[in-house]
Amino acid sequence: MKKVFVIDEADNVGTVVVAPIDKGEDVGTNGRITDITVTASTDIAYGHKIALKDIAKGDTVMKYGLSIGTASQDIKAGDHVHAHNVESNRGRGDKVSSDDTSTVPSA
Amino acid sequence: MGYIRPDDSVGIRNHLLILSGTVYANGVVERVANTINGAVPITHALGRCQVVPDLRVTRRFLSGTGANPNVGAVIVIDHFKEEGCTAEDIAHDISPTGKLIATVNIRGEGGFISAVEKATRIAQDFARQISMYQRESVPVSNILFGTECGTSDTTSGLASNPANGVAGEMIIAEGGRMIMAECTEWMGCENWLTEKAATPQVAEQIVAGVRHMENRALASGEDIRGSQPTGDNMAGGLTTIEEKSMGACKKIGASEIVEYLEVGEAPTQTKPGNYVMYGPGMGAESISSMAAAGCQVLTFCTGGGHTSNHPIMPTIKVTGNRNSYELMRDTVDVDVSGVFFDEINLEEAGQIVFDEVMRVNNGYLTKSEALKDNNSFAIHRVGPSI
Repeated sequence: MKKVFVIDEADNVGTVVVAPIDKGEDVGTNGRITDITVTASTDIAYGHKIALKDIAKGDTVMKYGLSIGTASQDIKAGDHVHAHNVESNRGRGDKVSSDDTSTVPSA
Repeated sequence: MGYIRPDDSVGIRNHLLILSGTVYANGVVERVANTINGAVPITHALGRCQVVPDLRVTRRFLSGTGANPNVGAVIVIDHFKEEGCTAEDIAHDISPTGKLIATVNIRGEGGFISAVEKATRIAQDFARQISMYQRESVPVSNILFGTECGTSDTTSGLASNPANGVAGEMIIAEGGRMIMAECTEWMGCENWLTEKAATPQVAEQIVAGVRHMENRALASGEDIRGSQPTGDNMAGGLTTIEEKSMGACKKIGASEIVEYLEVGEAPTQTKPGNYVMYGPGMGAESISSMAAAGCQVLTFCTGGGHTSNHPIMPTIKVTGNRNSYELMRDTVDVDVSGVFFDEINLEEAGQIVFDEVMRVNNGYLTKSEALKDNNSFAIHRVGPSI
């Protein structure tokens, strides 16, 4: 059953839609990639992501054809992809430059 | 098909707007609008005791809404002289459009009853005059197309938003312009936006706009960058802020970002493409800012099934969540959830959105318009009441 939706051809993860995935289940993809089948290594909830291919630690996790973060450990095809194995490259208070005082728009 | 106004702008509706200049005119405005066939009231809580920069934004919203080409005639009502935002000031701002405008001052007329009578007589005359206006065939290039997302869920970034991005590209290909606001939601994918910026200045403005909104939140004690994605987002499967923001920003497609706009500000350029606007994620303020900028039509992408509808700018709700569509069938206009069930692809979903926008442009009522559920006029604040 095609439970995984891929939003861009360049992506290495897809999103679980339609219904949750059970461990050991073979799932196909819809969207911009329609010819991949992966076997889930764990239960994966609706709305969560599954790896479409192996992603090595330090590699870029791609969704929307863009980086949504960096793999913080080796990820295998079929693995659940979430905060436990992906690190954001942006939006972290500890990574924001403290001297960044951008100009204030005259709203 | 649209109404060609004296300034050559094109409206897709022909509203008689009864507009409150201040909160204290709301009662008169509602009474007049109740009496007149087809009149649309816009009331709000502002216009008094605001600091100058805040009042300036209020005036921009009120004037811009009156100037919107969907408005055929407007009566502005206020109760007393608020320096910097009187009914006359607002009418003055709208006057370059050449449309029918009148002002009524409650104190000047000698109170509520006299003001209602005067405004009602003018409104009756205006309603009959604009009823003679006819739709004419006009090119799509006249469209300033606004887009918004709210009550988003897993389906939003995968179906309704990207379908909307496809539709937007189709409108731009025909010479139209598209506005995306809600700069809070650009946080984390600024690079994707700045790469599309027409000039280095636009790119700088995008980054500064996000930072400004972030700093406003910080000043109120909330670190919105540090707390993204929220706990609910994480439980739903969103991993990083860049993932969340990309889902929101997919409402626009690949075209160049021509200009950066302040909240409620009309584009100064006519070049086809994307335009981005500073402003909050709060839906009613955001869509009101785009109506004030002159958008004739807006798509509101919603996972959960939003009820938002602007009084004078048709607000087309699009969902990728089939359950929400079934649940909110009298409110949500378009269902593109078929992308998840192998029924349609994203290009076809985009075509469905585009076709609905064109129908609405030609006069087809949205579901919320038919219900007169005009719930979403709100003015963005940049200062406290004093």
